[in-house]
Amino acid sequence: MTARAFLCRCEDVTLGEIDRAIDRGLTTIEEIKRYTGLGTGPCQGKECTGALARLLVDRGLARADALQPFTARPPAEPITLGLLAAARAPFFAARPEEDPDPKDTP
Amino acid sequence: MDAEPLTIYFDGDPLPARPGDTVSAALLRAGHLATTRSPKYRRPRGPYCLIGECGTCQLRIAGQPNLRACLTVVQEGLVVESQNAWGPAGLDPTRLVDHLFRRGFDHHHFLVRPRLANVAMQAIARTMTGFGVLPELPRPGAPPPELHEHVPTVLVLGAGPAGRALTGALEAAGVDVLALDRRDRLGLSRWHPAPLPQRLLVDTGAFGVYAPERLIAAASPPLAGGSPRLHLVRPKHIVFATGAREGMIPLLNNDLPGVLAARGLAHLLERTDSQLTAPCVLLGDGEEAEALAAQLGVHRYAPADVERILGRDHVEGIVVAGRTIPCGVILLAPTRAPISELAAQAGAQLRFDGAGFAVLTDPDGRALLAPRPPDADDDPAEPPWQIWACGHVRNTSVDPTADGLAVAAALLAELAASEPS
Amino acid sequence: MSAALGSAALALPAELDLAVIGGGVMGLATAYNLALLAPALKIAVIERSYLVSGASGRNGGGLRMQWGDRGNVALMIESIGLCKRLAQELGINLWFRQGGYLFLARSAAAEARLHRNAELHREVGAPTRLLTPADALTIAPHLCAEHLRLASFNPEDGVVFPWPFVWGYAAKAVERGVLLRTHTEVQGVSPAGDGYRLDLSSGEQIRAARVLNATGAWSGHLNRHLGIDLPNHPHRHEIFSSEPLRPFLDPLVVDLDSGLYFSQSTRGELVTGISLPELVGYRDDTLKQHSTLRFLTTIAATLTALMPITAGLKVLRQWAGPYDVSPDGDAIVGPSPGHPNFWQICGFTGHGFMMAPAAARLVARWLARGEGHPMLTRWDPSRFLSGAAARREDMIIG
Ligand SMILES: Cc1cc2nc3c(=O)[nH]c(=O)nc-3n(C[C@H](O)[C@H](O)[C@H](O)COP(=O)(O)OP(=O)(O)OC[C@H]3O[C@@H](n4cnc5c(N)ncnc54)[C@H](O)[C@@H]3O)c2cc1C
Ligand code: FES
Repeated sequence: MTARAFLCRCEDVTLGEIDRAIDRGLTTIEEIKRYTGLGTGPCQGKECTGALARLLVDRGLARADALQPFTARPPAEPITLGLLAAARAPFFAARPEEDPDPKDTP
Repeated sequence: MDAEPLTIYFDGDPLPARPGDTVSAALLRAGHLATTRSPKYRRPRGPYCLIGECGTCQLRIAGQPNLRACLTVVQEGLVVESQNAWGPAGLDPTRLVDHLFRRGFDHHHFLVRPRLANVAMQAIARTMTGFGVLPELPRPGAPPPELHEHVPTVLVLGAGPAGRALTGALEAAGVDVLALDRRDRLGLSRWHPAPLPQRLLVDTGAFGVYAPERLIAAASPPLAGGSPRLHLVRPKHIVFATGAREGMIPLLNNDLPGVLAARGLAHLLERTDSQLTAPCVLLGDGEEAEALAAQLGVHRYAPADVERILGRDHVEGIVVAGRTIPCGVILLAPTRAPISELAAQAGAQLRFDGAGFAVLTDPDGRALLAPRPPDADDDPAEPPWQIWACGHVRNTSVDPTADGLAVAAALLAELAASEPS
Repeated sequence: MSAALGSAALALPAELDLAVIGGGVMGLATAYNLALLAPALKIAVIERSYLVSGASGRNGGGLRMQWGDRGNVALMIESIGLCKRLAQELGINLWFRQGGYLFLARSAAAEARLHRNAELHREVGAPTRLLTPADALTIAPHLCAEHLRLASFNPEDGVVFPWPFVWGYAAKAVERGVLLRTHTEVQGVSPAGDGYRLDLSSGEQIRAARVLNATGAWSGHLNRHLGIDLPNHPHRHEIFSSEPLRPFLDPLVVDLDSGLYFSQSTRGELVTGISLPELVGYRDDTLKQHSTLRFLTTIAATLTALMPITAGLKVLRQWAGPYDVSPDGDAIVGPSPGHPNFWQICGFTGHGFMMAPAAARLVARWLARGEGHPMLTRWDPSRFLSGAAARREDMIIG
């Protein structure tokens, strides 16, 4: 019954897959994300994180007041490299504190 | 709407659309529910949330892969292509994967041995991955991207009812306030009757809160007209009024095309002056779900009573207590989850509210800062701004307008205290 | 529920033969290899968070033989050889894809390095070949060949997906009897007899005859408890991944002159980083993992110039990870100065993931049977005191 009930549609993560991760001892959102791939697709966890949190609480695997979603990282919206590239020159070139190269990297 | 109808092209075929339609609206009206396939089981997929949150409506639009059809407004001649499908729609041979792995597919342990089979499996898997193909090169003569910088006293993210109420009160008091919203003007005005902020950037999604660099970055895509724009904002106060979204209800076959978010669809119908014609049921608990079912004129069931959703390429019915109820569209109305990712980036502390993660605030709407994460010597040093939250992002059961006004009052008091005139 | 991948509740004995601190790829791979060689040893890995929380869960997954120093080339020939069969050994898909590394030279200095490398690689037995700009384009078709002088390509180089790599070592280590305790921090280390006493965040105290510090960027914290002064320090490295697209790029491409690198993962995302000097006044020894817009705009400008088709490519997620940088670019591995039973496996300077399969095996052999190796001599933590440290490697990217 759990093989086609989806928690994360972006990466096709079903309840069955969450069960497998839990069976291996992984019970935090960060761990389950990294074992199942949940939350790593186009929506970056917007649709599934709450549902996963709910599942962990309902099964007694996590305390509601101790739960946190995985680290919020930019971009919250997909953004093109072309647009980002355009910001490079005016935004950063004039900054005086830019260091040429303190490290010996190429 | 009485404006002239338009024509867009979907997989090469002309498709009628109305001005103001989103691409998803035009596709749904024409009965195109499935527009892509899922990455692993190759299941047919289409839009769900209809408000830009879930990502499964993504299509190739005007030569660019993975654009959200539910946020893209139609233009005459717009070229839209389905993605991640092989061969003619409906005949994709990779659909077999779904049937071969009825009991699930453990990608960690599938065909690890023998080595040669493993190598072959990985090579085949690689050809099936990815959504869409490379974008087209920027057209010669396309307007170049623009950079805009803003230094308002207050930045408001989200121009829904809470954001509008708050911004209106600040504007009335003469505060320098800038509001951003990812939706377009039509979507915003049809969403809610309150007047829009004076300084409002529409079609503009904030994508990053970079505290060490003391700025918030937002982007307006080129399809909204003119140049793509990057906005860098350095406010003294940020107010998160980002609202809430509908997450998923984990039911069997909850991913079938035709499973749509109830609120998203209700707003889309309002936006486009359209009506629901397909046989439809709504799944959800509580007063809000009841009200939505009444507004849309559809029958409601409690999700806990639903055994499964039926269908192959799209929704065909549900099974409730052993009884099959045929329908073409299933509207989900789960308890809404706060849209708090940007607030979390800004360093706000979150709290699980049973459906999602709400921004934790004091009663006035001042966000509490997250403690240093236990697993990293991370550095949410003193943020360069004061963070606030109002409306559903801090509590999905408040009245957003009243909450926006309440937080505006607190913010005004703080501004008055910090800058006595 | 099994503890196949670690548990916060797992009971630890009061006495261990070896306590490995840090559940990254180094700690887990060493524990696994040692358990194979010396099954009677009582070994525990203690990780303060979840297993892939450090650099091992945040890296680009690139593996290459194309180094500038003989020892590193030989080490990576061995490591890549191990990786070819590692999925079968660990019983998990690693998505190891040998699409090669394509190094690009756009300056005379970079060109000279590629010539020198090609010669060296031929001597050591790595199948690297030099390519004209036109030939480079046949391997990475969307590149802009302007200013490109020379390229080098090694088809044996490739990429893996880091997460299962770590899960695989963890599960096999546990299968071999290694105790895997997660969500538990080592908060204090003090000498106790010939060994050490560890104070855990759970309140427990355990004794270990030997300790292996496998905490990478955090290793200095632990060393300080014992007054061990080593010169590796943490560095924040940023990276991003794009929307997943159908395969369009086989090799991992490195532009030597800008420090830009990018590859397309098995899932289709472009995974991309760049050498980004920290701003003046920013560099300190605290550990930071925040993301910056400066990174994103710098890399966007560099990447879209080198591969113009990426202008329309969308960034899906950016993140940062910490690794420890060693002043001479060589790892810091072996008994610590003044503490013969407190071992280090640190200092891999941004390339520990690819070296882990071979390095962990060397260390396990040393711990189990006292077996030496030229790289172990070179990695000796005491070299900074004795003045034997020397920079040999100039192909450090990141
Ligand atoms: C963005 C990025 C890209 C990279 N790209 C590549 C690449 O392409 N190829 C490559 O080979 N390498 C790459 N690297 C480097 C590589 O990831 C590291 O060298 C390698 O993962 C180091 O492994 P580790 O096990 O030593 O450290 P880590 O994985 O950092 O593990 C250390 C662990 O110790 C734990 N810990 C710390 N303190 C304590 C304590 N007191 N008690 C208990 N546990 C503790 C931490 O939580 C952590 O899990 C990259 C690194 C980064 C950040
Ligand atoms: S993002 Fe468009 S339907 Fe969800």
